[in-house]
Formats: sequence, C-alpha cells, structure tokens
Amino acid sequence: MEHTATYLGLIPLFPLIGAVVIGLLHMLTCKNNPLPEKLYGALACIGPLLSFFLAVVVFVHLKGMPAEQRFLVHNVFTWFAVGDLHIDMGFLADPLSSLMLLFVTFIGSLIHIYSIGYMAKDQNFGKFFSYMNLFLGSMLILVLGSGPVVMFVGWEGVGLCSYLLISFWSEDTNNVLAGNKAFIVNRIGDLGFVLGMSYLFWAIGAGGFDYLSLKANAPTISPAIGIAVCLLLFVGACGKSAQIPLYVWLPDAMAGPTPVSALIHAATMVTAGVYMVARFSFLYSEFPVAGSVVAWVGILTALLSAIFGMFQKDIKKILAYSTVSQLGYMFAGVGVAAYSAGIFHVFTHAFFKALLFLGAGSVIYALHHEQDIWKMGGLKEKLPTTYKTMLIGALALAGFPLFSGFFSKDEILFSALATGHTGIWMIGVFVAGMTAYYTFRMIFLVFHGKPRVQKTFDHAHEPPAVMTIPLIILAVGAALAGVLNLPGIFGGKLIVSHWLAPSLIEHHPHMGIGAEVLAMIASVVAVVIGIYIAFKKFGQGAEEPEFKGFAKFGYYKFYVDEIYNAVFVQPYKGFGSVISRFIEPNVTDSHVRFSSWLYRKAGTAFKVFQVGYVRVYAIYMVIGLSLMSLFLSQSIN
Amino acid sequence: MIVPLTHLLLLASILFVLGLICVLIWRTNVIMLLIGIEIMLNAAMLVFVAGSHRWGAADGQIFALMIMAMTSAEVSLALAMVVYLHWRKKTVNIDEFRELKD
Repeated sequence: MEHTATYLGLIPLFPLIGAVVIGLLHMLTCKNNPLPEKLYGALACIGPLLSFFLAVVVFVHLKGMPAEQRFLVHNVFTWFAVGDLHIDMGFLADPLSSLMLLFVTFIGSLIHIYSIGYMAKDQNFGKFFSYMNLFLGSMLILVLGSGPVVMFVGWEGVGLCSYLLISFWSEDTNNVLAGNKAFIVNRIGDLGFVLGMSYLFWAIGAGGFDYLSLKANAPTISPAIGIAVCLLLFVGACGKSAQIPLYVWLPDAMAGPTPVSALIHAATMVTAGVYMVARFSFLYSEFPVAGSVVAWVGILTALLSAIFGMFQKDIKKILAYSTVSQLGYMFAGVGVAAYSAGIFHVFTHAFFKALLFLGAGSVIYALHHEQDIWKMGGLKEKLPTTYKTMLIGALALAGFPLFSGFFSKDEILFSALATGHTGIWMIGVFVAGMTAYYTFRMIFLVFHGKPRVQKTFDHAHEPPAVMTIPLIILAVGAALAGVLNLPGIFGGKLIVSHWLAPSLIEHHPHMGIGAEVLAMIASVVAVVIGIYIAFKKFGQGAEEPEFKGFAKFGYYKFYVDEIYNAVFVQPYKGFGSVISRFIEPNVTDSHVRFSSWLYRKAGTAFKVFQVGYVRVYAIYMVIGLSLMSLFLSQSIN
Repeated sequence: MIVPLTHLLLLASILFVLGLICVLIWRTNVIMLLIGIEIMLNAAMLVFVAGSHRWGAADGQIFALMIMAMTSAEVSLALAMVVYLHWRKKTVNIDEFRELKD
C-alpha cells in the first residue's frame, strides 16, 4: 500500500473533526433541547476508533518494511517559510511514533468508552467529549509531528485541553484555580521549550528543521550550545511531565473528572516530555552530561513524590504522586541513554496507570464521589470486577515480578546500573519498595478490612458494563504488556527495544548475566518488603492514624506549595502591585493624560471662534475662499 | 464683440459683492439671505457665460445651465427649511437660531 503515508494526516484529523462537530452540536442545543447522551457518546468514540484503526494500518505497514527504512513522511502543506526556516505541516511515522500512536489511540478509545458511563447525566456531557476529542487530536499531532515546530503545536494543544478539562466543573473555584496552576506552570516549561527550539534552529536549523534533517546535522553542533539546547528542552519536558521543580501542578490536576486524570494526567499527555527526550535522542546521546542531569532530576522526583504518595488520603492524589514518581523513572531511563527502556515504561505505565485511574474512578462513582481512602474499606465484595482489575494494576505499578511494570522498571534500573549510575540505581530500588508500599496501602485500605463508613458502603454498587469492560481490557494489557519486551534471561527477545532501535541512538550496555540477576533480585526484594509492610500495617483493616509529625509533613508535601507561594507567587504579585500603584499611574498613564489635556486646552482655545451667528461663519468662509483664491492665483502666475 | 470681457467681469464682481453684502451685513431675514445667495450665483453664472463667449467654448454655458438646475433644487429645499424654522420660533430672523453654539 503506497498510500499509507497519506493516512498520517488523517489520524489526528478524525478526533479534531469529532471535536468540532460535537462542540457545535453542544453549543447549539444545550440550552433548549439537549441531544441524547448516546448520540454524543457514539460521535465521540468514532474519531478515536478510526484513528486507532489507521494507527494499526500504519504499524503493520512499517512492520513490512526493512528495519533501516522504517519511516513514512507525509507533508500536508507548507506552513510557512521565512529565510532558512521552512516549516511543513508534516507528519512522520517511524517505529517510535508508531508505537506511541498505537497505545495513545488504543487507550484513548477505551477511556472515551469508559467516560460514557462515568460522565452520564452530566449537564455538559457534549462539552466534555468535545474537549476529549480535541485533546486526542492534539496529542496525535504531538506524536506524529515531523519536526519540533509541529510537535509544539500539539504540545500547546494538549496543554490547553488539560487546562479546560481540569477546570471542567468550573462551578467550584478550586477546580478553576487548579486549572490555572497547571496552565501557568506549563507555560514556564514551554518557555524553555521555545528557547531550546530557537537555539537549535540557530545552531543547525539551516539544513532543515525536521527530525530527520536535524538528526543528520546533529554531529556538527558545538558542545556548549548542544548542552544548552538539551537542558532547555528538558525544562519544557519538566513542565509537561511534572518533574522537579515544576511537578506541583499534577496533583492539583486531579480536580478534573477521573477519565481525564486517566487519559491526560497519567497515560498520555504527561509522557510527552519523555517522548520528546527520546525523539531528541540524537542530541542527548551526544552530550551525556545533559543526560545525567535529566536522569538525576528524574530519580529525585521519583523519590520525592513517592514520599508524598505514602501520606496522602485522597485516592486520586496517591495515584497522581505515583504518576509523578513513575515519570521520574522514565526520565531516569532516557537520561542514562536507555531510551527504549524509558519508552517501554511509558508504554506499560499507560496501561496500568490508566487502569488504576479508571478503577479509582469506578470506586469514586460507586461511592458517590467519596475520595478519601480512610472512609472506604471492604469494597472487595461490593466491587469484585473493580477489585480484581485494580489489583492487577497495583501489582504492575508496584513492579511485582512477571507483571508489565516489573520488566519496564527493571530495565531502567538495570540500564542505570550498567552505565555506571550506581546512585540512581540505589535510589531507584529504594523507590520501588516505596511504590509497592503506597500502592498496596491504597489497595488494602480501599478493598480490604471492614467498611469504615457503613452508609456509603451500603449504597455502593458495581458500575455499568460500559465502565467495567475497558477495565478488563486494560487489566489484560497491564498484566501481559511486559511480554513484549521480555529480556534475554527470561528467554525473550526484547521485541520493543529492537522495534524502536532504528528511531533511537542508544548503546545497549552489557553486564554479566549474574549482575543482571542480582539487580533483579534486589528490586524484587524491595517490592516484596514494601508490600509486606503495607500488609502488616493495613492488611487487616486499620484506623486512621494520628495526624502529626512526619506524616503531616508528608501530607502537606513538605510545604512546597507554600514555599513556592512565598518565594515566587507573592513577590510576583507584589511586583505587580508596585507597578500598578506607582509605575502605571505616574509613568505610563501620565503620557495618556498629557495628550488628553493637550487636546482639551486646544479645544478651549479654538472655542472663541464659535460664536453661533450663521453670518459670522459665512464670513469665515469668505475669508477662507479669498485666501485660497489668492494662493491659487499666485501659483498660476 | 460688442461688450468687452472686462466689462462683464466688472458687472459680475459688482453683483457678487452686492450679494455678499446682503448676506453678511445688510439683512437678518433668512429669505433675504437666500436672495443674496442667488445674486452671487448669478454673478458666477455671468462669469461662466462671458468666459464661454470669449473663448468660443460651450463648457461655460453648460455650467451655467447646471448651476440653474442646482439652484432651483437648493431653493426648494431652503424654502422648506425656512417654513420649518418659522414653525419652530415664529420668526425668520437668522440671529435667533444659535442653539448649536451651546
């Protein structure tokens, strides 16, 4: 099929068309006669499903090509051309983007289906799906973009949708503030991205500003600029993927509806930063210093957010911190130049984190919007499907052997060890234990023991099939996705790593098989200890502990938000008020006031001529005409 | 050429100045002002016709005809406004109408 490349443009187009159609229908009908939810649900799922179908077609097509030539480029039109800067609205499918494409459209479709159940009876049902489709379209542009500029279009698009969906229930001011926070923090990151992109263009952009040309020209870049570009791009990744110091928006983003948390703030959008670093692997692999910064920031984020995650009470906050923590792992992976390991963790994480969020969503749905885990308990009998699927998700997140998270996390940790980043490996193993602890703390408190609030427990009921079926599909994925990249010691062939190899520049480090086994045993031990402690403390049902000491410190996230508020937000506001109180009235406004004063004075001066007698005006006319005739007669002679 | 062009221009100038004096100084009655304006227009027409005769071109006469047509339209409008002004204030004295100043 030689037309496969032209499908690339259609993949983001379907959800975008869906967004426009649903949005218009909603705008026109929501006031008087709202359309049935089934219609919106069907319309919303068509776009993602068609995109998924085309993603499979593209994937199969790529698979049929020789490994070294596996890329398809489709330039839809020339967007703009200024001097050396020639930007096509182009799409690139290579092993990396096609893998992202597959799971983004697959999980996106499942979450759209799930949302039909979760958002039922919401008065802005149509608006929700319009935003969701818009998000998916932007995400696909981000993934498929053939160069940094097109990627940036999608990058901003997903940021916008994230903002719109976090503050979706805008009746509550807190939700709106959370949306604002996400948007502003993302802007700070985007500034880094734009600066990095500009530097990159300045350095090597003249030979073409798409990934393939940049990759070819990358060796000519000078080290200082190369490192600056890498770090600036990483600032952008920090913003979007919630790393230190810009991670603060993600836990607040849980204010949005739960399917949004699952799709945007766990499975797809937040992994965009990791994807971007992998996309620029040709730069990062040239400069290991920049890579080390990325890896250290990542692993410290993983540690810090795992600490926060251990003390949260809100089920979605726990999952949010676990997301930040797992993103930290991914950056640790791509930072030590194990790009395929990082991307593989993105892939497995998308399954089990989407699963956990959707499971949490069905718990919240069953308990009529109760999110405090200290008010749950014993839900195992009431919600059997949710329990089983979430347990699989939790095992995968904790990195329990043979579940998907185990293979991907282990490969990252092993790569860190093999490239000589022993510190990162040690922290990583420790965090793996903490992850297991807080994940099972949540599982035990929610599903085991005795119900803590009898009333909500009695009303709990399993959600409809439209919600449980996506859970089951994702659970299968979360359990088995690891098989795709089975390492050699399990008799596997690292299928995903080999698939990704043509897109990435990486060196597979080799250590003895003994070291690999030992590293694996270390992380397994950490995970088992974590689960065991959680079982001891919470397995048989526990009472909410006294709220003091380190637990309180951890619950309030080490007061980082307050520190940011004091160090950045308040001085900025103070600066603003100084400007509005002194600079603006005295400097800016004085110019405006001067010109208005000038015109008023001039008006007063000329007022004396306005006497009101028609005949006087006629005299003025005669004088004017005489002067004009005089002037004309002068110029004729 | 029986009448020289200079004489015609002189006559036209006298007519124009008379009309001007009528409008500017002499009268305050609106109808009289309109008559003054008509006199000035006639002076202008005379200059056109004289010029046309002097240079043997029809343009001036055509202009004179057009000014006549324009004048009749103008007078009909102006008289309607005079009626309206009289209806407003029971007077046609131009100096009574100075509301726009304030």
